Amino acid sequence: MTDFVVAQFVGLSAALLGIGLFGILTRRNFILLLIAIEIAINAAVLNFVYFAGFATGPGGVSGQAAAVVIVGLAATEVAVGLAIVLALNRQRGSINVAEATTLRQ
Amino acid sequence: MGAFDSLFQWAFLVPLFPLLGLVIVGFFGDRMKKAEFGGWVAVAFSGMAMVLGVLIAVGEALTPGRYTDVSYAWLTLPGTQSVFSNGFSLVMGTLVDPISALMLIVVNVVGFLVMLYSIEYMHHDKGLPRYYAELSLFLVAMNGLILSDNLLEFFLFWELVGVCSYFLIGFYYEKPSAASAAKEAFLVTRVGDVLFLLGIFIYFATYATSGGGAGWAASGFKFTTGSTPFLGSLVGSASSPTLTIAGLMMLAGAAGKSAQFPLDVWLPDAMEGPTTVSALIHAATMVAAGVYLLAVVSLFLGFTADDRLAIVAVGGFTTIWAASMAVVNTDIKRVVAYSTISQLGYMVLAVGAGFAMVGLYHLFTHAFFKALLFLAAGAVIHAVGTQDLLKMGGLGKSMRITSIAFLIGALSLSGFPGFAGFWSKDDVLASVYSQVGAHPLYWPFLLCALATVFLTAYYIFRAWFLAFSGDHPRDPTLPHGHDAPWAMRLPLLVLSVLAAVAGLFAFLPSFSSLLPGANVPPVYGSTDLVLTAVSAGLGLGGIGVAYVMWGNGRVFQLPSGSPLQGARTVLLRRYYMKDAYDWIGLHGVYRLARAADFVDQFVIDGSIRGIERAFSSLSNGMRRLQTGVVSDYAAYVVTGLVGVLLFFLFVAPWIFRTMGGG
Repeated sequence: MTDFVVAQFVGLSAALLGIGLFGILTRRNFILLLIAIEIAINAAVLNFVYFAGFATGPGGVSGQAAAVVIVGLAATEVAVGLAIVLALNRQRGSINVAEATTLRQ
Repeated sequence: MGAFDSLFQWAFLVPLFPLLGLVIVGFFGDRMKKAEFGGWVAVAFSGMAMVLGVLIAVGEALTPGRYTDVSYAWLTLPGTQSVFSNGFSLVMGTLVDPISALMLIVVNVVGFLVMLYSIEYMHHDKGLPRYYAELSLFLVAMNGLILSDNLLEFFLFWELVGVCSYFLIGFYYEKPSAASAAKEAFLVTRVGDVLFLLGIFIYFATYATSGGGAGWAASGFKFTTGSTPFLGSLVGSASSPTLTIAGLMMLAGAAGKSAQFPLDVWLPDAMEGPTTVSALIHAATMVAAGVYLLAVVSLFLGFTADDRLAIVAVGGFTTIWAASMAVVNTDIKRVVAYSTISQLGYMVLAVGAGFAMVGLYHLFTHAFFKALLFLAAGAVIHAVGTQDLLKMGGLGKSMRITSIAFLIGALSLSGFPGFAGFWSKDDVLASVYSQVGAHPLYWPFLLCALATVFLTAYYIFRAWFLAFSGDHPRDPTLPHGHDAPWAMRLPLLVLSVLAAVAGLFAFLPSFSSLLPGANVPPVYGSTDLVLTAVSAGLGLGGIGVAYVMWGNGRVFQLPSGSPLQGARTVLLRRYYMKDAYDWIGLHGVYRLARAADFVDQFVIDGSIRGIERAFSSLSNGMRRLQTGVVSDYAAYVVTGLVGVLLFFLFVAPWIFRTMGGG
């Protein structure tokens, strides 16, 4: 039974990671890219929360704590990301990441 | 013990005086008002060296068998596990002994006279400060060489005189023939020098811990302790193949420096330098350094019996080899140059037969009459502006003093009874003759030397008749010759006197103490008297034949159909030796160099460039990955991640399994 539940959860987070990665690799729109990153991050968060349930003793909540930290981090990242989107849009009138290649130089 | 002790302590000043001259002329000669001033400075310093050198020689002659060694340890190294187990030291010092005293006279007297002569002879040349600086450097090096008290210092100065020779042969460096003659001299002597160095290594390796005290290496490879050889002529008593090879290496070094067969090709070409240089370096002193080396090795280290035979063979063969080429040559300087090679052969012959002192005796007399011949030839060239004997003739009338000087030199060279060359040459022949009983293999070389007496008298009188006898020059366009000014005349006079009487010095008991252990003056037994008569007769015969063929302005023409024409061509082409060396150089060494160049350019450089090209194309390919598109980078990250995952899931376990790990 436990094996089945573990497989389900890990499968769920793997699916989320896959969706996120697919989005990261295929989307050209910056906002969609950010959303895909969020999905991939949440795959990791889900793993933290789930496996924390197995832990006992004083360290038992550390998984949840990490999840909270990551969620906070993701929010910050989105804030920065959206600021970049705004700046990009203001500068180039486009938020297509395939066009923003000046990093190459 | 005596009045001369302090004098011998100051022997280092002899090379130091010309060094001062070198510094003054070399660094300030260009700023002097007149170029001659620098010349006079150099002459003054070489004069001081001569006075001191002759004083030391006189002192040495008056205190027979005195060895004064003043040395300064320059560097002392502790023992190692190698052959130098007792340590190793480098020593600079002066050793005043009979033979170096003898050489001091030769080098400094001839050096001073040549310097004085050069004032007038070279006055129209540009680059006079350079000339005097180089000549002074040569005197420094040569005096250092003869005063060396150990083998390493000897080699140091040996190389230094070689460099001076190179500089001075190439003095007219704008002239391609002079520049290439200088290179030739340097390269040919270098062959000998490298072998000489190898020989030194063999001696070092063999005798590093021999001798007294902590051994030869620890005391700085000195020639002597007190008046006995440091190694006590060890080689002479031993006879291992290694030591024979070491002795042959010494012979090779001497052959290079003294232009002995087969390393003789450079000396005739060295006549491209000023005649004064030929007189000092390529007749009297530097070329004698090879003989001096053989004498030093023979006295302080010793040669094995096989070495002696080789030395006798080289010397004896060289006498006739070079003399035969002088017979047909028409260049006044080259005739004298070939005669130098031939006479050096006599000295080598004597040293090889075990009579180092007799060799040095001939070196002593030869230095004076050969320098005289060169300086007289120089006076002729100076006056008429050509070296071609066939254009000259009748110069005896206008250049009486030069003509007489050359005649005295020629008489001395051809061994006319009473002149300097007679005594020493006779001594060489007598000493070799005394050995042929014990060593029958010496016979052919003694015969070569005897035949050369005839050839010598013939070719030098041929030159004298061609230049000075007759009524007028054969080439009417030749400028009217005149005797040289006093600065050139004085050296000629002094050398004429020395060339006539230097042989008699050996009869002074004090002087002959500079030649200890030699039968100098010759001890005449009845067979030796016959030998003397034969050699004197051969010399007179040579003079007579030369007179018949060339006297009174006659020019002997070989009939065109004569079979001797072929021989004449061979001799004029110098037995094709030089062509052979050129061929070896061009087809052997040059091709080897080309092959090495190919390997260097295409194999070594090629592989380095190939690596460079591989990396550069790799990085060019990598650069294309840098698109600047964020998604691409994300793709790389994902690819890498997947790669790492695959590695740890499948590849790493497989490696562990195959390694047989747990």
